[in-house]
Amino acid sequence: MTDYKPANPVLEVQDLRFYYGDSRAIHGVDITFPEKQVTALIGPSGCGKSTLLRCFNRMNDLIDISRVEGKVLLDGQNIYDKSTDIIELRRQVGMVFQKSNPFPKSIYENVIYGLRIAGEKDKALFDERVETSLRGAALWDEVKDRLHDSALGLSGGQMQRLCIARAIAVNPKVILMDEPCSALDPKSTARVEELIGELRKNFTIIIVTHNMQQAARVSDNTAFLFEGNLIEYGPTDQLFVKPQNKQTEDYITGRFG
Amino acid sequence: MNAAFLKKVKRNDQLARWVITVGGMAIIFSVIFILVLIAKVSLPLFLAPKAQLQQVVQLDRANEQIVTFGHDEYMETAYRLLDDGTTVFFNLEDGSEIDRFEPDPPAEGLTPLTVESFGRLRQAIGWSDGQLTVSQVRFKPFFDINNNNQRRIDHEIIPLALFPTPADGIPLISQARIDEEGRQTRVNRYPGNHLTLQVREVSENFLGDEEITETETTLSFNSSGTLTTLILSAAGQHLYAGTDRGELLRWYLSDTEEPKLIETVQAFADQRSITALNLVLGDVSLAVGDETGQVSTWFPVRDEMGDKKLKRIHTLSQHNGAVQKILPSPQDKSVISLGPNKLILDLMTSERFLLAFGEEEGLIDFRLSTRGDSILALTKEGRLLSWKLDIPHPEISLGTLFGKVWYEGYDEPVYAWQSSSASDDYEPKLSLAPLIFGTLKGTFYAMLFAVPLAIFGAIYTSQFARPRLREWIKPAVEVMAAIPTVIIGFLAALWLAPLIERSLGGVFLSLILLPAALMLSILAWQGARKIEPLKRLERGFEFLAIAPIIILTIAIAAACGPGLENLFFAGDLKQWLFTEMGTRYDPRNCIIIAFAMGFAVIPITFTIAEDSLSNVPNSLKAASLALGASRWQTVWRVILPSASPGIFAGTMIGFGRAVGETMIVLMATGNTAIMDLSIFNGMRPLSANIAVEIPEAPVDGSLYRTLFLSAVILFVMTFVVNTIAEIVRQRLRAKYGKF
Ligand SMILES: Nc1ncnc2c1ncn2[C@@H]1O[C@H](COP(=O)(O)OP(=O)(O)O)[C@@H](O)[C@H]1O
Ligand SMILES: [Mg+2]
Repeated sequence: MTDYKPANPVLEVQDLRFYYGDSRAIHGVDITFPEKQVTALIGPSGCGKSTLLRCFNRMNDLIDISRVEGKVLLDGQNIYDKSTDIIELRRQVGMVFQKSNPFPKSIYENVIYGLRIAGEKDKALFDERVETSLRGAALWDEVKDRLHDSALGLSGGQMQRLCIARAIAVNPKVILMDEPCSALDPKSTARVEELIGELRKNFTIIIVTHNMQQAARVSDNTAFLFEGNLIEYGPTDQLFVKPQNKQTEDYITGRFG
Repeated sequence: MNAAFLKKVKRNDQLARWVITVGGMAIIFSVIFILVLIAKVSLPLFLAPKAQLQQVVQLDRANEQIVTFGHDEYMETAYRLLDDGTTVFFNLEDGSEIDRFEPDPPAEGLTPLTVESFGRLRQAIGWSDGQLTVSQVRFKPFFDINNNNQRRIDHEIIPLALFPTPADGIPLISQARIDEEGRQTRVNRYPGNHLTLQVREVSENFLGDEEITETETTLSFNSSGTLTTLILSAAGQHLYAGTDRGELLRWYLSDTEEPKLIETVQAFADQRSITALNLVLGDVSLAVGDETGQVSTWFPVRDEMGDKKLKRIHTLSQHNGAVQKILPSPQDKSVISLGPNKLILDLMTSERFLLAFGEEEGLIDFRLSTRGDSILALTKEGRLLSWKLDIPHPEISLGTLFGKVWYEGYDEPVYAWQSSSASDDYEPKLSLAPLIFGTLKGTFYAMLFAVPLAIFGAIYTSQFARPRLREWIKPAVEVMAAIPTVIIGFLAALWLAPLIERSLGGVFLSLILLPAALMLSILAWQGARKIEPLKRLERGFEFLAIAPIIILTIAIAAACGPGLENLFFAGDLKQWLFTEMGTRYDPRNCIIIAFAMGFAVIPITFTIAEDSLSNVPNSLKAASLALGASRWQTVWRVILPSASPGIFAGTMIGFGRAVGETMIVLMATGNTAIMDLSIFNGMRPLSANIAVEIPEAPVDGSLYRTLFLSAVILFVMTFVVNTIAEIVRQRLRAKYGKF
């Protein structure tokens, strides 16, 4: 059921093929992500989830040998067009990484980093954004008294939420999350999952996870990838309850992966 | 895991810990050991001077009037000259008489009226008819073969000159000198400020006969006071006099017919009486003792008008009463003065008080041995006291090592390093200030050139260059570090220095053109990178475009340089710098040093900075880029701060390298110990100075020990820099986290 087309698309992927040198990692994927919903990408390790995700903010450009074919439309505009400003693109498509990676700066500076690099200098705006972003990332109450302490003093879960706060501070349309909870303990994971539920009110979220319970808990739609192919895509409740594809079923029932 | 294996693992672990601990300790201890070794050599510089009372001999005061005395260098034999002209040689250990020389007056029945003893055991005896003889006592060590090769001190009295009775009769006192050419000078003082000069010159006429010309002139002068004391220089060329109204007079006696009164100086505003005068070794500085007990030294200094005027330069110790006598040391620029109740030894140049001794002995007169290391003094009661002086390094003090010193013959106090010269009475100038300055100056310019290059190079290689390129650049730069510095110094001195000197205009032009050309090419690149074939070149191969641009720019600058010099600087930039900017252009200067030392500093700084930049985790870079930062923003805001501890450490290690670098600076600087910040002249750093001077320095001499002291300073400098560096690095690390 790869022809599932949700309403209000923000990001449309058309026949995307991705190569690491000569080896193809994504074999022609077509997928549409709806606005202000959470879409989970699941699949066994090495099936290309992260690769696909990185195509959406062109982080793959950093890999010298990479090559992309096909289209990724953000609001109808192909992000692989020559005219695309990568910096503007990454402002609209934020990213949270598997391993939390706060800068070795204060919590405050971490949050406003995106604003600073955009040339923003307004102190009042900084203060406001720091508060709203940290509140948005459900971190405010824990750190409001030590905003100017080093971010490296936070716990793992807090760091990851700080990274989320940092991503939402620039007000992106889409937030990409690559296994954001894989390095966290169950309690922190629960908090981040709760947070994702909150964030979907304002942001379109694409989350990679290989934890099916998590996908089931947080997402509205789920896409199952296997060996660089999109095997099945549909509303999460449907996909988990009634998978259309044998491979999907095998995977979610834990027969491989 | 079985128990035996576990035990083995534990044992190996223990062993490894031991080996590492012992190794680390050994390194720390050997470093400390080296420091202690060096410090130990330099430490005697600061030993306190000592005077040790050797012998006390009671002379028979009742039956004889001692007019003068003297002693040999070994403090074994002494002589005394009595008022009837007899010279008595005696054993200084027990006072027993050895020998007695009957008086040798120029005529029968004369008795000595005045005696002036000066320098090397010489005395001028004025006889009762006004004639004057100059004689010298000579002590000669003699090894007696018959008597077990024992050392004996033989002595003799050698007559040197005879002056006839002056025209004006018997003077109050006379002074006489004989110079190396045999010119005999006698100055006579009569009551009522009357001075006369007698000169006897022996010359050979064309027939080979000796001809004696005798002249006698009056030295006239105006003074409000009365003459109190005179001193004639060793060659008899200069005469100084003091009055009881604080005036100093100076004559130049070279022209016998017309001796010249050069100046009369009101030396002391309070018109205190001048009670003692003498010339410090070298006969340039005049030591003055006055009735208040103040000892000072004076020498002629150029004033505003450009005339040399006698000026008070150094103020030495203060006695608690009139200074009675001053004698110079025959070895260095120290001065011994006798006050009412003690002897004081001062070093003139550094104004360093060395010793006071002979307190409350009632001393009335004293002599110094020719080596200046022993003193014989006579008390009122006719006792002779002798002291052995132990002043290892009189000329060294913290003041002379680090402060400005007013050396003899200079017009102002200076920092100077000049360890040796041809002349004998030359005073070594051992100020470390210009050397420390030189080290810092050379290091500063080297760092100014090397650090930006190394850091920007490291940023480019680690962040922008393709990994393949990086694999080439890094080892290549590291190989730079392996070039022997002697080769770098050699090339800098013999190839680069003349090259830059020849094309100075071109060098300056390229300093302007190069950044401009780079800017332009970057702008051009921004446009060109959009074009398809160039697009592929974009990342990591920028240098392929930059290199030809740099080479081309330098070539253009070199070609235009001479024309530019003709146009704007009257054809010679060096001359223009000298006349218009007041800086001298040395061919071996800090431009050369910056280039050459760059070779020593860049590799080490580059490698460490590059490592720390590469070690910044990619996740941080990714986080920044994902937030929409450009590559440069990412480098500036994330990579650089995170790598700052390493970059800083690299810089500091480079600094340490530059501070200690010897071979390059030795060859490529002029090694002139000047204190001038100008980039156009050289310097003499501590390290090169040690290398240059240590082969020439007599072991355990002042120079030798001072060089060791400068090594300690070099050591401490690097130590301090490294410690500060480490502290700052730790701080940075705490701030930017460690990975
Ligand atoms: N930088 C890279 N260079 C080359 N191959 C890569 C790179 N990153 C990932 N791959 C390959 O691409 C495939 C997909 O990887 P990835 O997207 O990381 O999978 P997932 O995130 O689903 O585990 C894997 O076979 C992996 O080996
Ligand atoms: Mg992955």
